[in-house]
Amino acid sequence: MEIFLQACVNGLLIGGFYSLMGMGQNIIFGVMKIINFCHGEMLMIGMYLTFVFNTFFGIDPYLSIPLVALCMFGLGALIQHTLITPSLGTKSFTNLLFLTVGLGILFQNLALVIFSPNYRTITTSYSSITVHLGPVTMALPKLISFIALIIITIALFWFLKYTSTGKKIRAVSQNPIGAEVVGINSKRIYIITYGLGCALAGVAGALLTLFYMVYPMVGSSFGFKALIVVVVGGFGSIQGAFCAGIFLGLLETLSSLIVGPTYRDLTVFVTFIVILVVRQIIILRRR
Amino acid sequence: MLKVRNLSSGYGNVQIIWDASFEVRDGEVVAILGSNGAGKTTLVRTVTGMIHPKSGSIDFDGDELCGKPSRYILDKGIVQVPEGRQLFTEMTVYENLEMGAFSKEAKAKLQESLEFVYKWFPKLKERKSQAAGTLSGGEQQMVAVGRALIGLPKLLILDEPSLGLAPNIVDDILSVAHSMAKEQGLSVILVEQDITKALAMSDRGYVVENGRIALEGTAEELGKNEHVKKAYLGI
Repeated sequence: MEIFLQACVNGLLIGGFYSLMGMGQNIIFGVMKIINFCHGEMLMIGMYLTFVFNTFFGIDPYLSIPLVALCMFGLGALIQHTLITPSLGTKSFTNLLFLTVGLGILFQNLALVIFSPNYRTITTSYSSITVHLGPVTMALPKLISFIALIIITIALFWFLKYTSTGKKIRAVSQNPIGAEVVGINSKRIYIITYGLGCALAGVAGALLTLFYMVYPMVGSSFGFKALIVVVVGGFGSIQGAFCAGIFLGLLETLSSLIVGPTYRDLTVFVTFIVILVVRQIIILRRR
Repeated sequence: MLKVRNLSSGYGNVQIIWDASFEVRDGEVVAILGSNGAGKTTLVRTVTGMIHPKSGSIDFDGDELCGKPSRYILDKGIVQVPEGRQLFTEMTVYENLEMGAFSKEAKAKLQESLEFVYKWFPKLKERKSQAAGTLSGGEQQMVAVGRALIGLPKLLILDEPSLGLAPNIVDDILSVAHSMAKEQGLSVILVEQDITKALAMSDRGYVVENGRIALEGTAEELGKNEHVKKAYLGI
């Protein structure tokens, strides 16, 4: 029972990361109808930024979160303004596919050149402290990251629901023509949206750095998981991505506990396929 | 207030509007009539800056709007209720209305304008926390008109408000537009396929055929015109 609870807690934590990645991906998809194939690399850059801030400037990984978010927002805004917005005009899906996949490869190799393929970790004075919550034991960094994930998720929902910019993001994603009719500057919203998506991935990276190794390819598995989250949760649905992310995290840890770690990915993908098939059948039945 | 001269426009290399000239005066309801595909919506989109004209001039209270972006034109006070309503279906009625406040002035007067819209469409007040997509077609059209009114228009353009609505609801919406023109001094362009209804509510009208203005006159004149009777009214 204790192991089960422990797995649940770990699952929720890892699920929180998938949620954050998936929600960022889905905001971008909702507004521009493009899939950001370099989303995982944004997480990787966020991790390296945290690593650099910590190793060279001595900034605590958690205190560097706002800094990482700001840098990633800037990077995202720059990419959107100089590369994606001009490509959107061509209305060609393949252009955008090549563009974001290409950016991903570029970032991976840049990281390889700058940081070498070595695995890096950062340690802080509180890295090894563990906290006992009833029967569950948790490393302090994981607990802090978990709380931070919850706060960021709530802040994101609040931002989209109540702020003027958040409403404009929803408006553009629900009806681009209607948004033009009421005078929303779509290009500005694109920049904010892509910047926000990248910032969310970067923050996920920053939160991950304390208990995960940093290396140039670290983003690919998270980027891939974010895609699963988006497909299961529904393209463009923020709430859907949140639930799907948590579900995926729980599924991963519980399946390694119950079926064994060797079959973890198998279980995840089989479940994924089953969900897609069942959903398709339900949709077809309804018609 | 609006004087359009020799306007030509279209999509890419396809020219749709040829040399169109028309005029809207203060407090006037002007109908732009024509059958499906005549170019009415393209004309509206050109005037509101969603399509850039190839040539011609659009003078609005002394400002040249030709080639200006849609946000500039909106800021000058030309607000449209687009064809097919184009609401934000998953947002509430209130949020939809709120999105209509584009200019600083409109934002400052939001509460006042909301009361004004609720006065004309009391149903929207009842449904303000409901998602716009769950409303009936007529109510959605009310939201679209309300959203435009929140933008404090000087010239309101209604693009096919009758599309897909029951006749009595069309009458309601058209009469609101008519009373607003007469009571508030708002100018209205009414783009319609339903010529009988449109002429009943307007002062003057233009008939668009194949992207050109084929006829113009007062509502009464057009209603009596032999060509209009034959081609559009079936008498």
